[in-house]
Amino acid sequence: MAITFEHVDFTYQAGTPMANPALTDISFSAPDNCFLAIIGHTGSGKSTLIQQINALLKPTAGQIKIDDFTITPKTTNADLKPLRRHVGMVFQFPESQLFAETVRQDIAFGPQNFGMSEDDALVLADKMLEDVGLSTVYADRSPFELSGGQMRRVAIAGVLAMQPKVLILDEPTAGLDPQGRQEMMSLFERLHREQGLSIILVTHQMEDVAQYAEEVAVMRQGRLVKYGATREIFADPQWLTENQLAEPIAAQFAQNLSRRGITWSAWPLTAEELADQLASQWPKGERTDV
Amino acid sequence: MDNIIEVKQLTYRYSDQERPALSDINFTVQPGEWLAIVGHNGSGKSTLAKCLDGLLPFSEGTVTVGGTTLTEETVWTVREQIGMIFQNPDNQFVGATVEDDVAFGLENRQVPRDEMIPRVQAALDEVGMADFAQRQPSSLSGGQKQRVALAGIVAITPDILILDEATSMLDPLGRTAMLKLVRQLRHDQDLTVISITHDINEAAGADRILVIDDGKLVEEASPQEIFSKGDQLIALGLDIPFVAKLKAALKTRGIVPPADYQTTTEMEDWLWRSLSNT
Repeated sequence: MAITFEHVDFTYQAGTPMANPALTDISFSAPDNCFLAIIGHTGSGKSTLIQQINALLKPTAGQIKIDDFTITPKTTNADLKPLRRHVGMVFQFPESQLFAETVRQDIAFGPQNFGMSEDDALVLADKMLEDVGLSTVYADRSPFELSGGQMRRVAIAGVLAMQPKVLILDEPTAGLDPQGRQEMMSLFERLHREQGLSIILVTHQMEDVAQYAEEVAVMRQGRLVKYGATREIFADPQWLTENQLAEPIAAQFAQNLSRRGITWSAWPLTAEELADQLASQWPKGERTDV
Repeated sequence: MDNIIEVKQLTYRYSDQERPALSDINFTVQPGEWLAIVGHNGSGKSTLAKCLDGLLPFSEGTVTVGGTTLTEETVWTVREQIGMIFQNPDNQFVGATVEDDVAFGLENRQVPRDEMIPRVQAALDEVGMADFAQRQPSSLSGGQKQRVALAGIVAITPDILILDEATSMLDPLGRTAMLKLVRQLRHDQDLTVISITHDINEAAGADRILVIDDGKLVEEASPQEIFSKGDQLIALGLDIPFVAKLKAALKTRGIVPPADYQTTTEMEDWLWRSLSNT
């Protein structure tokens, strides 16, 4: 599903003395089957922005188009049900929302809410469990007996069971150990690649942005200050520093080497890309072919 | 100097579980040392921290803090010496304003008001949050909240600071700022620091690293020795350092870098020398 923001403003508690503008004049267009990372400092409006996409918050001005749906300040909740089915949202620490007696029932809850029969929903739940990399032996367990990382997978399976076309993830790896983080990111990458899911990822992990995102939106003080291909965003180290954003480590490393006179044909963002470019410049005879 | 913490044969079992969460843990901590404890999620690291502070009553083994052996009777003497910061900044606020929150520990210790006011002020100064004294904690960012939590600890002047994944919910800048502040506090207040972490930068700053796996203490070494493990680090609950990732990527392309541990700068030197050899 292509997502287009047109001059979107959002103000918390609009029309009251407490009014607090959180988004100002946001316009961008993300293509169908995108992998978009939204980055920016804490409090820059990232979470407010993603809540517009499934209309948990509606714009106070402007409009958002998601395929055939249009969200305007006047859109009613009744109009939004079909949209919300297609836009799955995984909040921060989603495991805190688990509630059912068994893992299977928890995952099947969403689809039943949208009219699927109980039998079908339970069958679907087992499939989703495998999709997130958990065996079906967990299906009859209480979700509260699982480890933190497993609980998070169950919560994500519950969102996937709605069979969304867009998956919005708000810091999905926060609090996981590095191995758990890596497994979680590989899961999203696989869903994106194999099932054509559009992924919108809010994150502070620049290494994940460099490795997985195709496009990046940079937020600052409620405004979209830059939108573009991942490599373009990371091409200007000075701009990143001014915006208090970290560069991926590989890019920092490449920058240090360029100060010593080593040149790059394209700016490397990951260890793999850096190694590719080093190998192509390596003195002949110093390499063992593998 | 005597050890500030001694842990002997510590075993802890959660009541509903057969396998112990910690089994036969032995280690000591020197005064002024920075000790990092690492391990993957569920390895028992946080359980260990809670045992040191008497938050979890263990049945086997002994914990001695500042010469006092931890028992039901001495738990308050032990806690006087330890300040603890947890992962989620939202779960550790009690005060309606920042200064009330910092004063909470002092109130518990029945410090007179005349003394309390300057101590709260000094603690907020120390962590760079003096301008926020009247603010509501909910209006602060995650990094600011953790600073206030640190001020609460500074105010009660403990000997030991335990950070239980205290930087894991902060953004990269918040994380760097917090670690810098902890280093400064350690210096200013002669603190002993125990940090439980998955963050490789946090672990790199330690004098010594303990690795916990499956409730057991499996390794005790310098950061340099631990980081030389490269790819295996991920199984220990740490990330793989960038230099190790780059070395692995180079090897698959037929380039063989030196096998021993290298800092980023040392790796840059080696690459530059090799490339300018042409």
